[in-house]
Amino acid sequence: MAEKRESESVVPLLIPRSYMSTESNLTGSWRFLKPGYAEKTAPCSTACPAGEDIGQIEMLMTQGMFKEAWETILRENPFPAVCGRVCYHPCEGKCNRGEFDEAIAIHSIERFLADTASRNEFKPSIDKLPSKREKVAVVGAGPSGLAAAYFLTLLGYTCDVFESMPEAGGILRWGIPLYRLPVSVLRSEISRIEEMGVRIHTGKHISQDFIKEAISDYSAIFVGCGHSRTRRLNIPGEDIEGVENGFEFLRKIREGEKPSFDGLVAVIGGGNTAVDVARNIIRLGGKSLIVYRRRRQDMPAFDQEIQMAIEERVEIRELLAPAKVEFNGNEYTLTVQHMKVAGKDVDGRAAIEPEGDKTEEIKVQRIFKAIGEEAAEAWYNPPDKEENMLTLGNSVLVNSSRGAALIFGGDLTNKTKSVVHAVASGKEAAIALDIFFHEGFDAIESRLETCAVGDGPPLSMEVYMGGPRSQRKRHVVVYNEINTDYFQLIPRVTQPRLLIEERLKTFEEIDLKISANLAMREAERCFNCGLCNQCDNCYLFCPDLSVIRDNSSQGRHINYDYCKGCGLCVVECPRNAMVLEEEGQ
Amino acid sequence: MKRVLEGSQAVAEAVRLARVDVISAYPITPQTHIVEFLSEYCANGTMNARFLRVESEHSALATLIGAATTGVRTFTATSSQGLALMHELLHWSSGARVPIVMAEVNRALAPGWNIWTDQTDSLAQRDTGWIQLYCENGQEVIDTTIQAFRLGEWVNLPVMVVLDAFFLSHTYEPVDVPDQELVDRFLPPYAPKFQVDTEDPCAFGSLVTPNAYMEMRYNIAEAMEETLSRFQDVEDEYAAIFDRRYGSVEPVLCDDAEIVLVTSGTITSTSRQVIDDLRARGEKVGLLKIKLFRPFPVDIIRQVLKTAPKVAVIDRNISFGASGIFAQEVRAALCNLAGHPPVFGYIVGLGGRDVTADLLEDIYWRTKNNEAPEKESIWLGLQEV
Repeated sequence: MAEKRESESVVPLLIPRSYMSTESNLTGSWRFLKPGYAEKTAPCSTACPAGEDIGQIEMLMTQGMFKEAWETILRENPFPAVCGRVCYHPCEGKCNRGEFDEAIAIHSIERFLADTASRNEFKPSIDKLPSKREKVAVVGAGPSGLAAAYFLTLLGYTCDVFESMPEAGGILRWGIPLYRLPVSVLRSEISRIEEMGVRIHTGKHISQDFIKEAISDYSAIFVGCGHSRTRRLNIPGEDIEGVENGFEFLRKIREGEKPSFDGLVAVIGGGNTAVDVARNIIRLGGKSLIVYRRRRQDMPAFDQEIQMAIEERVEIRELLAPAKVEFNGNEYTLTVQHMKVAGKDVDGRAAIEPEGDKTEEIKVQRIFKAIGEEAAEAWYNPPDKEENMLTLGNSVLVNSSRGAALIFGGDLTNKTKSVVHAVASGKEAAIALDIFFHEGFDAIESRLETCAVGDGPPLSMEVYMGGPRSQRKRHVVVYNEINTDYFQLIPRVTQPRLLIEERLKTFEEIDLKISANLAMREAERCFNCGLCNQCDNCYLFCPDLSVIRDNSSQGRHINYDYCKGCGLCVVECPRNAMVLEEEGQ
Repeated sequence: MKRVLEGSQAVAEAVRLARVDVISAYPITPQTHIVEFLSEYCANGTMNARFLRVESEHSALATLIGAATTGVRTFTATSSQGLALMHELLHWSSGARVPIVMAEVNRALAPGWNIWTDQTDSLAQRDTGWIQLYCENGQEVIDTTIQAFRLGEWVNLPVMVVLDAFFLSHTYEPVDVPDQELVDRFLPPYAPKFQVDTEDPCAFGSLVTPNAYMEMRYNIAEAMEETLSRFQDVEDEYAAIFDRRYGSVEPVLCDDAEIVLVTSGTITSTSRQVIDDLRARGEKVGLLKIKLFRPFPVDIIRQVLKTAPKVAVIDRNISFGASGIFAQEVRAALCNLAGHPPVFGYIVGLGGRDVTADLLEDIYWRTKNNEAPEKESIWLGLQEV
């Protein structure tokens, strides 16, 4: 019976079994390739003129750390709510995810974070260096001046910002239309800068005498007066009454005027001002015709703005150069010369020349000139050439022997006139002045290079201040360095917008909010190129149990006593946050 | 309880009754029904086991070696190419002394692709240290599978329960399915003699130098030797509860037989009818069914065959360059016996070709009409090509 049986085998069991530790065998000595943790640079962050740490921002976003993500923006850019709306987001053009499916909607997430911070009244906790004795005056409370003052304050300086207009903001307040940037959004960003200790003095008459006075009171003066005067066409009839300057028109609207339009209005130019003027006219009852001398693809206005203008029924006619304006008391006749493409210009746009003597007369009710702006006063501009003058990427520093150093920035010095370039200019000026005060004029250029994001041109304030970001490798991660096996095709979030019919009758903001759910899902699409998001693949894949979790900021280290250098961890790192190098390199 | 079951389900029922803990398998015709039944049992709670479907048979067996080392009862099933892919781990599992039970449904090896029955797949694994048990019908399948756990766990060797493709795996027969309570009495929970213990860490399967390896191999050989007697013990225990036994071999009418047919698998059933018919016509013919192929029950085979004037071994398999594999084994068992009978080897039914009563009778007459084998292997039923 079963109960009686003997279950033990009569043959003893011999099996290979070892109780000895194998740890005496330091298999790490076999290694000729050495893996290691090395965070690198995401391409988006090098495409952002403000050098925002985008990969990190998206990662914090996915973890629901909205405040920390917002503060990560603020370390490099004081205007997340503004840039989340009006920036032309060159970052997205360099997004590696674009080669996989579609680029991350970085601007939508930036705006979400800024709006969330505002709604929850977050107070940023950002490291500020101890107070320094130098005081800096900032002339012009536009984006470059405010950014300069903001970053100088972070570096411990006392800053006074002087502004001639009754309210701070520069082009953000007096140029960019409300449907792109509501005034409450701007005011909230500026008041946060003021709460940090920046003093803004508005309604101040800015003159050369004022500068002279400031030179003795301050250690340095940042000049960021911007471009606010419309360039002349230099054609007959441009000064006839009713032929107006586009930029001034935008300002009047932002001052509260609400002129009405009827019939066709010509807007001459192809930049953002021209497009904004045309779109304002549509909202005020007119019909807009943009007349541009080159082709549509050569227009310097941001593409997305052009797209939206076309949606709003702005008509664009290309290869037409204005030649003459006449007024018969009833309507204006704009005579245009037909142009044709003749090769390429130095900047890659079409070079043009007149197409014989083919001209055309366009009858319109009004004409706006918007072929670009320049400094309202010649003395705003940096000197052409002076001793002890340093031309940097987005600013010009003059170490005047008369007292305070002068540093010019914003549109006065920037090749690309954009808000984010203005921020870059303010940041560069702040860092340059800090180097100038502490290490001297000659150290500026080489020291600035050390805080470049990747290979530049953007600079990182966090890197300059020695934050964790300064530990990253400069190597910019490319698409084929991402292990896309770990990512699924997911469509990019669609920015909800007002319907065109609504857009045509109102100055309400066009871009609507996205939900936290959508924003987090969008952030999850981010490859976080070159950054570790603690996915633990290295730990899971290591065949030698040589990835050891610890309490360091990395969260783990490699036990090189036993790591054989197989490189699995590096290959299986989805984000290229590791490196495999030859041993002894 | 008597139920009409497919051979595959007889295996699955036995695995359920054995309260197996971990099943890992990869589907392959004609074995697939077995794991389909089992996966359903696992999914619907009939069995409280983990079913791990892996990416290959190699992984299936590797998984079970790991699982068995933690001290749980394990099962897999395969056929043909799948078994061949397991080859490396067949050696590993016997060397590691883990008592995994496998249902192996005999199927021909490719190419040409052929899903029908042929014993070459399992017989080609005869040297891997697995106990091999060949079954004749559905009842034997269920009983043998239950016994396989008891036997393997006793001697710490893996066990292959072998059944013919389709003729057995896909044929419905009345099968007495034992009660769980009785099976529990026959087969207590697995009491492993060694297992992974995180409190007392050690490495299994570590390096063994020439001064210890041979002893370990001798130990396996001894365990195989012991299996011969343990098989009897297991059958005794089983018979005590269920009143059924099969024997490592089964001699039928051999005592006065002038010719003994040696068979395995389902051919045995047809042969039973053939010898009855021949006996009715006054022919002195017997039958020796071989169930236990590894370890090979040499003593009892010698005992049965020593008095037979002629032996005819029927092989549904071929070892190319040699002969049918059962024939080789029978010859080897007899060769040291003075005056042993001549052994006629017949190759039949490869790749699922039918082995009919007429064909088996033909084997009898050929053997009777020849003093000695014309050739080592006689292939029967070949067509002109």
